[in-house]
Amino acid sequence: MTSKFGHLWILAAALFVQTSAAEAHIVAARLGDFYAGALHPLTDLRDIVLWTATGVLAGALGAPKGRWLIPVFPLGLLVGLSLGRIFGAASTQLADATMMLALGMLLAAAARIPTFLLCAIAFAIAVMRGAANGADLGPDTDRLLFAAGLACAGYGAITLTMALTTAFKRTKSDSSASWRTIAVRALGGWIASIGLMMAGLALAS
Amino acid sequence: MSWRILRALSTATAIFLLTQPALAHDQAGVPGGLLSGLLHPVTGVDHLIAMVAVGIWGAQLGPPAIWVLPITFPIVMAIGGVLGVLRIPLPMPEMVIAMSALVLGLAVASRLRLPFSAAAAIVGVFAVFHGHAHGAELPGSANPLAYGVGFVTATGLLHLCGIGIGSLTRWPAGERVIQALGAGIAGLGCYFLAQGLGAIA
Amino acid sequence: MTAIRYLRLALILLAALIQPSLLRAHEAAMGVLEFREVRPGAFIGRWTMEPTIGPERVDLRVPSHCLLRLPEMNCGQKGLVGPITITNLGSNMSVVLLKVIPITGEARSYTISTANPVVSILGAGAPTLETWLELAKTYVNYGIDHILLGADHLLFVLGLIWIVGGGWRLVKTITAFTIGHSASLAAAAFGLIGVPERPLNACIALSIAFVGVEIVKQQRGEIGITARYPWAVAFTFGLVHGIGFAGALAGLGLERRLLPAALLFFNVGVEIGQLAFVLLVLALIWAHRRLDAVVPRWGAALPAYAIGSVSMFWFFGRLARVFAAI
Repeated sequence: MTSKFGHLWILAAALFVQTSAAEAHIVAARLGDFYAGALHPLTDLRDIVLWTATGVLAGALGAPKGRWLIPVFPLGLLVGLSLGRIFGAASTQLADATMMLALGMLLAAAARIPTFLLCAIAFAIAVMRGAANGADLGPDTDRLLFAAGLACAGYGAITLTMALTTAFKRTKSDSSASWRTIAVRALGGWIASIGLMMAGLALAS
Repeated sequence: MSWRILRALSTATAIFLLTQPALAHDQAGVPGGLLSGLLHPVTGVDHLIAMVAVGIWGAQLGPPAIWVLPITFPIVMAIGGVLGVLRIPLPMPEMVIAMSALVLGLAVASRLRLPFSAAAAIVGVFAVFHGHAHGAELPGSANPLAYGVGFVTATGLLHLCGIGIGSLTRWPAGERVIQALGAGIAGLGCYFLAQGLGAIA
Repeated sequence: MTAIRYLRLALILLAALIQPSLLRAHEAAMGVLEFREVRPGAFIGRWTMEPTIGPERVDLRVPSHCLLRLPEMNCGQKGLVGPITITNLGSNMSVVLLKVIPITGEARSYTISTANPVVSILGAGAPTLETWLELAKTYVNYGIDHILLGADHLLFVLGLIWIVGGGWRLVKTITAFTIGHSASLAAAAFGLIGVPERPLNACIALSIAFVGVEIVKQQRGEIGITARYPWAVAFTFGLVHGIGFAGALAGLGLERRLLPAALLFFNVGVEIGQLAFVLLVLALIWAHRRLDAVVPRWGAALPAYAIGSVSMFWFFGRLARVFAAI
């Protein structure tokens, strides 16, 4: 029963994401700054990869550790958004790539990192991405609404990704050789390799 | 078990196919990058057969190869990719890639049982070369990140195909089919190798 | 007890911070541009309702054979046929209504929105398939926009979900709400009932406060009327909210014969938006259960108080406007 629902949610989430990504720019112009903030991350692949990776890592570590991210991640986004105003649009290409690599490696190695470290990593990513999202805001954007939208999107994305990961992994019957655990770790391998290549590219250019 | 994997695979493919046209409307560069990244490993037949062969061989070898492979292969490949990005040349890349299809095909056809470390070393060397070929394309791509995501995903899915095919080994008839497939891959590898040599000569 | 009082105060302050911007988003700016034909092919154009960004900043493009120099537009022999575009519709201006009043025949209305920045003026004659498609696209999108920007409607739906929980009961409740607001939307759009907008908005705010109170009651173990007959409550307040939806359509001044279709498409759009919201909330509830991340005991009453505070703030704000109007 749970598995059926899990599949349903995965499909629903996938469909939701795909339509929103297509419509993001139109919707942002149509629906004002709250939705602009909520949908802005979907227009940047770095956000999609990093947010998903964070959520999957937290989910793979299990609900007791992961659920701290529900408040931490949106908070980090807000902090980043307000800091982004001060620092301006600094290039975060290398930092993004390093974070992808780190998250992917932790996930692939199935490392049991402590809750504090998980929160610190997630917070750092959120601050970085929050600043990046706020970098190209127009002067007539309502920053409060944009921030609210971004925080809501961060909360929703992280919570759903974590829950989907725990549902997929079925933590209760956790054995290291189960194909579900391996699938999650393989995803980590993919993310790490993307991060590695992006880091190489950032260093090369 | 395997039909579950199959279902997950089909779901993943469906989501991909669905996502693609949607992303095509999105920010400039992402669709092109993602598409070219996805297609690069699939359209190059030499890459495609080698990746599938890696999956099949991993499944034949059984644990731990079957689960170490999908986790570490992309990372090792990415190391090659970084070399490609940095324009550090490798000796005779085309030849080694053709060789990889030949060697892996032969390994599958003969059900070669190597110790895990030896198999890992062989696959690792080939992974670096394959990654190098993909990585060289990366900086020129419309959106490098999208290209990277695309080609890592495509490679992973090809492995999954290979592992799926490899799980046929449980049945005797399936074992024969796989060996035939391995021989076919080795043959194609031979062809590419000959082509490469012909081009050199 | 004092702690709760402080909490309430904090929430009200928070609501005060959030509220004005939300309200601004909800009352999306609209402009109405009227072209009246004074002699064949020649029109006088004027803004009967000016967009907030100012009429001079609207980038209006007319068919190439027409010469536009507001307030005059001359289309010559061919008449006003072809595409009219507004290129700079953005976050400050979501919809422009275009009215074309020919010398002979009925007046026509066209809606230009960000999702649909081009309208084709079809000239005189019966509505064609293209007209219908255009209408459908415009009004479904408009309906979706309206519900997604209507924080008050969404908050009410959230409250209902909170009380009813998931499952079959929720399906019935949401269906009742849908039937309720569809019925009153239709009735109001056809002019069968007329309710002044300002008191109505105050009522809508009050309905949300009611749901907030019901949540608190439920948490104290009392079985409120909403918990017992959720569909009845949803239907009743659906009627109230539906009249509110009609207010959004009323300003568009559509042709009478196109009104039923426009209404249908608008309603479809509203349902799509509402369904998406309900699914998102259910997904998040499922995720929270899955992660075992539920509101701790000391904070259990917090969401209900938040809903109540925000809605009461809206209520007083809207009530003030009612008196200001008098």
